[in-house]
This record gives sequence, C-alpha cells and structure tokens, in this order.
Amino acid sequence: MNIREIMTKDLTAVEDDTPVKELIFIFESAETPDMPVINDDGRLIGFISEKDLIRAALPGYFEMLHSASFIPDMNQMSRKLVKIAEEPISKYMRKDVVFVTEDDDDLRAAELVIRKGVKILPVVDKERRLVGRVRRIDLLRKLL
Amino acid sequence: MIVTVTLNPAVDRIYWVDSLRMCEVVEEEYLTRATRSATCAGGKGVNMSILLAQLGVESVAMGFIGGFAGRTVVGDLRDKGVTTHFVWTRGETRTNVTVLEKGRAYVPIFIDEAGSPVEERDVERFMKRYQRMLERATWVVLAGSLPPNMDPGIYYDLARRAREAGARVVLSAGGEALERALEAGPAVVKPDTRADRRLLGGDLDSRDAVIAAGREMVSRGAGIVLISHDITGDIAVTRDGVWEIQTSVKVSDLRNLIGADDALLAGVLYQLDREATLEDALRFGLAAGIATAESDLKLCGDPQQIRAEMERITVKQIGGGVQ
Repeated sequence: MNIREIMTKDLTAVEDDTPVKELIFIFESAETPDMPVINDDGRLIGFISEKDLIRAALPGYFEMLHSASFIPDMNQMSRKLVKIAEEPISKYMRKDVVFVTEDDDDLRAAELVIRKGVKILPVVDKERRLVGRVRRIDLLRKLL
Repeated sequence: MIVTVTLNPAVDRIYWVDSLRMCEVVEEEYLTRATRSATCAGGKGVNMSILLAQLGVESVAMGFIGGFAGRTVVGDLRDKGVTTHFVWTRGETRTNVTVLEKGRAYVPIFIDEAGSPVEERDVERFMKRYQRMLERATWVVLAGSLPPNMDPGIYYDLARRAREAGARVVLSAGGEALERALEAGPAVVKPDTRADRRLLGGDLDSRDAVIAAGREMVSRGAGIVLISHDITGDIAVTRDGVWEIQTSVKVSDLRNLIGADDALLAGVLYQLDREATLEDALRFGLAAGIATAESDLKLCGDPQQIRAEMERITVKQIGGGVQ
C-alpha cells in the first residue's frame, strides 16, 4: 500500500520562527508529540519533538551523566524552560529530517519508524511541500 | 485545489426525539430522552469540504480550532478524507445543538453558540498560511459566521487576496461581512439569512424582494447569487438573468435540514469546477441539498442519490439580466 492511502491529511506544522512557548501550546492542543517545521514557502526544513524541548531544558552536561540524580535539584529544568520560552524553535529543531513521499510504500515508512525511532513521518510532494503525515497508528490501522 | 475557510467551525450535536415536551409548571419535571444522537464536524465551509470529499474532490479545510471540541472537528474531518490546516487557538471551538422531533424534522430546533474570540497573533498566523495556500488554490470558499471579536471586513480581505492570486471565490455569509465582501467580486454568493430574513437592508418577504436583493448584490460585484426562496427552491441571479430552481419533493418528506444549504453550495461548486453550465450546476446543487435533507445523514454526497434527485428538479429562467 502506498503512503497516499495511509497518511493522515493534516498540514499542521510550525514555522521556524515560532516561539518555544507557542510550540508547547500546539503540542498540547493538537495532541501530537512531534511537529514538522516549514519555511515561508511551506517547504519542510526540519522537525521538532517534545523530546527535543525537554533536552533543551536540561543542563548541557546531562547526557554525559549516567543518572539525573547527579544533577542538583534547583528547578533547573523549569528555569531553563522559562528562559528559552520566547526563543525561536529553529534553535532546537533537527534539520536532518526524516520524511516520505506520497508514492513511497508502507514498508519504507515502517523501516523509518523502526530504524530512526520516529513517531510521525512528514509526507512531502515533489517540491518538498508538506501534504500530510504518517503516524505509527496510521500504519497499523490502515494495514489491518 | 479547493480551499475552504471556516473561521468559526463547530461540533454539531444532533438529537432525534419522539416528542419534545416543555415543562410549563414548576413542579412538573419532564425528561426528553433522545432516541438517537450524532456528533460530527460542522460549520459551513467544513460541511462543504465533507460533501466535496464524498463526491471524490479533495479540499483543504482552514480556519481556527481549539480545545476538546476542536480536536473532535479535526478528527472527524481527517476520518472523512478532508485535508486539515487549522490554526490552534486558546478558545474552545463552539458546539451547535440541533433537535429533530419525529414527524416535524422539517422544522428543527437550532441552538448555536457564538464561538470564542480569536487573538490577533492567531489571525496573523492564519493569514500567513492562507496566503501560502492561495498559491495552489483554484477556488476559495469563505463560509459561515465569524468569531465574536472578528473584524467583519475579514471576508473582503480574504476574497480580495484570493482574487489577486487568481482563485475564484465562493462566499456564504450574512450581515456586514457579506455586504463588505461583495466589493471583492466573489464568483458565487449564498447569503446566510437564517438568523434574519433581510438582505442589504430590505425584507425578503416575497419572490420579487428576493430577486431585487439578488440583482443589487450582482450590481455590487457578485457573479452568481443564490438565495433561498422557500425550503424546496432557490432563486439564482446573475448579470445575464434570473432563474428559479425548484424540486417537486414535499416539505413534509424532508428529514434533516442541517447542512442542506451547504450541500447545495458544494454541489454548485463541484459542477462549476468541472466547467458545467450554470443550469446544470444549479440543478446538481439543489439535488445535493435535497438529497441531504431527505437523508438521515447530516450530509449526503452519494452521486447516485443526487442524480436521482435531479430528475425532480426544474430550472427555469424567470427574468432578464441586470442592467
């Protein structure tokens, strides 16, 4: 089955100058953990997830530690989030975005979900404009 | 590509009841139990997108959406194959309630919420996305009421931008928003007179008054004006003439008027998009509206049923063009 038949036709995306605070609101409202990032022409230029923002709110040395228990609890996450709330998401988005096209097949989407660990795959047309998204549940529901 | 804009969409809650009893004495308590209920995405542009999807035509639904009801609208549209491109707002999307009483479904009870205000930054965000969509749009539908704090000039602005981008505009609105948008030259206009049977300051109390209002709207910039004359018929006015479209279906056979007007307009658009003649578009449009009104579904876009309805419809020219 090709992606055209599987995808959810949702163009919800954010521009790269969207403030972090606004993105958190959209994540919550749209009940989605990931969001494609587009430029002024509507072309896909990146991807950002709740995980990227949580990582941004942690101290820079966090990933070198074996456990969060080594970090002194001084509301560090909260203070960092407040600090970056008005910053553009372009600072935290991933530019090596994984995507599929409408003509790709279900196996290609499944491969990317498994190998890249993504929850949502943006679907783009030939000009790299966003035309939809494939969620993991879309793959399961449509293929059953 | 067809783009539909519904700035104040809704969740439609429909209840079917055997009889609607009102409590007239304080001590008495009556319970009206629904025999059936349905929840679906609503709002004029949203309804048109759904009907177009049933006819196999893709469209992108845009507007403002928020909260639990907003998620219901978006989820329903996606399930029905409509592409969604809404701006998420902090206000809750409204809920509209319709009660259909057995044997009296042709006189439904409508209770519509006003909707939530929209913040200026969300309007800016919407405009940016709308402008982007216009690059690919051939038709733009601007339909329905406006959120409470919205400038009534917004439909004029959106229609003007669409025209500048080369798209044709379908407008379904009422009041000041409608009047101001006429100047932008919409190709098709269906005035919403549900809350007030008046247009451009005049009462629509006769067929002549309907025709006069239609002519005035054409002279102010509209292409085709469609005005409901009675439940089973419409009047169409263009620069070239006046037509009456009528079905032989009895009013008492109508079971559900929710969305019937939107189905009519979507049917007309469907045909105009295929370069059909005006008469064919009008016949198909009314057939889609009547098929919906005769159905238990909120919107009936079954091509076979619409074709069958077309047999019962007459389209007759009853007047000359606008001087």
